This record gives sequence, structure tokens and C-alpha cells, in this order.
Amino acid sequence: MKLTAEKNGSEVLLKIEGRVDTTNYGEFENSVNEAISDEIKTILMDCSDLNYISSSGLRVFLVIQKKMMASGGKFKLFSMQNSIKEIFDISGFSKIFEIFPDQASARK
Amino acid sequence: MGILFSVIPVLVFLSFLFVLDSFKLVFKSFLLLSIVWGISAALFLYFIKVSNPVAAPLIEEVLKSVFVLYLIKRNKVGFTVDAAIYGFASGAGFALVENLVYFYAMPEASILTWIVRGFGTAVMHGGCTAIIGMLVIFSKSVEKRGGLYIVSAFAAAFLIHYAFNHFYINPVLQTLGIIIILSVIFVLIFRYSEKKLHNWLEMEFSTEIDLLNMINRGEMLSTRAGQYLGTLKTNFSSESILDMYCYIRLYLELSIKAKRNLMLRENDFPVIIEEDIDEKLAELKALRKSIGKVGELTLAPLMSLNYRDLWKLNLLK
Repeated sequence: MKLTAEKNGSEVLLKIEGRVDTTNYGEFENSVNEAISDEIKTILMDCSDLNYISSSGLRVFLVIQKKMMASGGKFKLFSMQNSIKEIFDISGFSKIFEIFPDQASARK
Repeated sequence: MGILFSVIPVLVFLSFLFVLDSFKLVFKSFLLLSIVWGISAALFLYFIKVSNPVAAPLIEEVLKSVFVLYLIKRNKVGFTVDAAIYGFASGAGFALVENLVYFYAMPEASILTWIVRGFGTAVMHGGCTAIIGMLVIFSKSVEKRGGLYIVSAFAAAFLIHYAFNHFYINPVLQTLGIIIILSVIFVLIFRYSEKKLHNWLEMEFSTEIDLLNMINRGEMLSTRAGQYLGTLKTNFSSESILDMYCYIRLYLELSIKAKRNLMLRENDFPVIIEEDIDEKLAELKALRKSIGKVGELTLAPLMSLNYRDLWKLNLLK
């Protein structure tokens, strides 16, 4: 798992690569927390290179979503691979998160 | 002041346990009913008056635990955490009434009496019923000697209760001991249970999604599960095979959604209740009946249908 962050004012673009599972979800959560600060109002998560996510990873996504909702911010996911999108669709998490096909639509 | 010491500590302890329930497994309605049950049990025993030093703790422990045992029997309790909290709540309800009765019967008693009763006896009542709940739910997850855990649960609760009543050591030390020991036990058990719940979610969630995806794409026959179902054609009618297939598909869908709701509850999100959930649960029940025990045993290599697998379906409603 690799997370890169690019801050731009009140927005941060996070790119997640690899797998998020029980072995590294803590590291993933810490990396996200380091990348976001109080002034961040929008998190854009590029999921194009995320190739596996387990329930531990989904729980971290929920924690981020909860944090952003509490501060009145937005957490947007985009460019998910089909296999990952299926996980969100089949479990019903698509109703919880804002998921966009690409970065441009996520920024609108 | 005495009345506060006799009723507040056990409610604080109950709140402490409630906070430790990070996955929000406890349903408030059941929690309230557990307290009400404990209150009712104490009132019942107050009127029938059992004073035998051996029979009284035994009867009290059995009576207090009835509601948590009922919840377990109805698959409404999934893990040691919720079993402990429901059990403790019944014990707390029981202790509240008992302490109030003592308070009005002995208005001249010293403040120390109410401290011992409030922090010691009341917490002991909650703790003993919690121990019964925890061990009984644990017995559901072991393949062998489940009955032994149930007998041990009642024996442990009885012995703690009996010893506590007889004040073999200084009452204040005894009170301090029960609070410290129970707090440590609960924190350790809750941590263990949380880890177990986390592993349970992690292990099954992805596998179930993969299998359901394959079924939805019509690729079931290429999986080991599909090949296994294929081998059953010689022993089961086509209708039965179809019912089993539908059962697996529906069960997987509901199981995934139940786990999703558990994750949502953990993070304080409102759970998602699908509009057609009642119909799907009714369909699952009908399919389960249709395939029968033999069908369930046949499907055992493909999917587990243990106590916890049925409990999780409660999270859908």
C-alpha cells in the first residue's frame, strides 16, 4: 500500500496504490490522518491503482467519511477499478460514499 | 446520600460497559428490557422471600439470567460484549430494587453500608449475570463441550455470589476487589471480543463478495462451490438444488449487507434498511425450511450457518 498526498488550498488529492487490508489498514489510516489537517475541506481520493480492499480498508474509509462529515467537508472517491466498484455496489457502500468516474467529475 | 451511593455506581458501571462496545452491538431496546427484567426478577423474589443462604444466590442467579438466555436463544446476541452488557443490565436492575428495599428497611444504616452495597453488591449482581451471558455465548462458538461452559457459568456466578454474601474478607476490601477484578476482566474480554469480531468481518466479507460476484455474473459453475453443487445432482432433486443455489445467493447478499450495517453502526452512521428486506428475510426463511436440515448439512462445506451467522441477520432490520 502506498499513499501520496498533494495539497492545494483547502483540498487534498490522495492517491492510493496497491492493497488495503488487515495487514496495513492502520498504516493507511495514519497516512491519511497525516495528510489531512483542519483546513482541509475536500478530500479527493484517486482509487485508480487500488486493486484490493477488505473490510478493514472499508472501515478506514468510513472513519474518514465520518471525520469529513463532522467538519462539514467532503470525501470523494474517483476512478475506481471495476472490481473495487463492485465491492462498494454489492455491499451498498455506494450509497454512503460519493463515487465519481474520474477526477474531473469529482471536482465539479 | 445513602440512596445515591446504593443506586448510582452500578449504573455508572453499566454505562462504562456500554461505552466499551465499540461496534455498537447492543440494541437500546434490549438493554432497557434487560434492566426491566432484572427489576421484575427482584420484585418477584421480594414477594416470595427466599432466605436460605445457599438457595437464595442460586435462585437469584438463575432468575436474573433468564432474559439474556432468552436473547441468546433467539439469536439476538452475537458476541461476548453484548452478552455481557445485557447480562450486566439485568443484574443492575435487580440490584437497584434490592438496594432500594434495603434502604427503606434500614434507614439507620451507615453510609459505609450503602457504599458497600452500591459499589460491591450491585456490581457483583451485574457482574455475575454478565459472566453467565458471556460463557453461554462462548459455548455457542465451541464445537465440543458447550454444555460444560454453561454449567461453569452458573457455578462461577453462584460461587462468587455466595462468597460475596458471606463476607469472608473485609467488606470494603471485598468491594474494592470486585470492582477492580470485574473491570479488568471486562476490559480484557471486550478487547478479545473486538479482535474476534474484527477477524470475523475481515475473513468473510471479501470472500462472500467474490462468491456473490461470480454468482451474479453466472460464473458460479466455474467455482469450487458450483462444482460441489453440481456433484449433488445425483442425490437431490433439481428443485432442491435450485433452492440451495437460491439460498446461497440470497444468504450471501444478506450477510454482506448485515456486515455493512455493522461497520456503519461502528462509525455512528445510520444503517441502511433496504425496502425489500422483509421479503428477502422471509424468502431466506422459506428456502431454509425448504432445503431442511439435510440441505443445510450438505451446504456446510460451502457456507457456515452457525449461531453467529444467523445472529448477524438481525442487523438488517
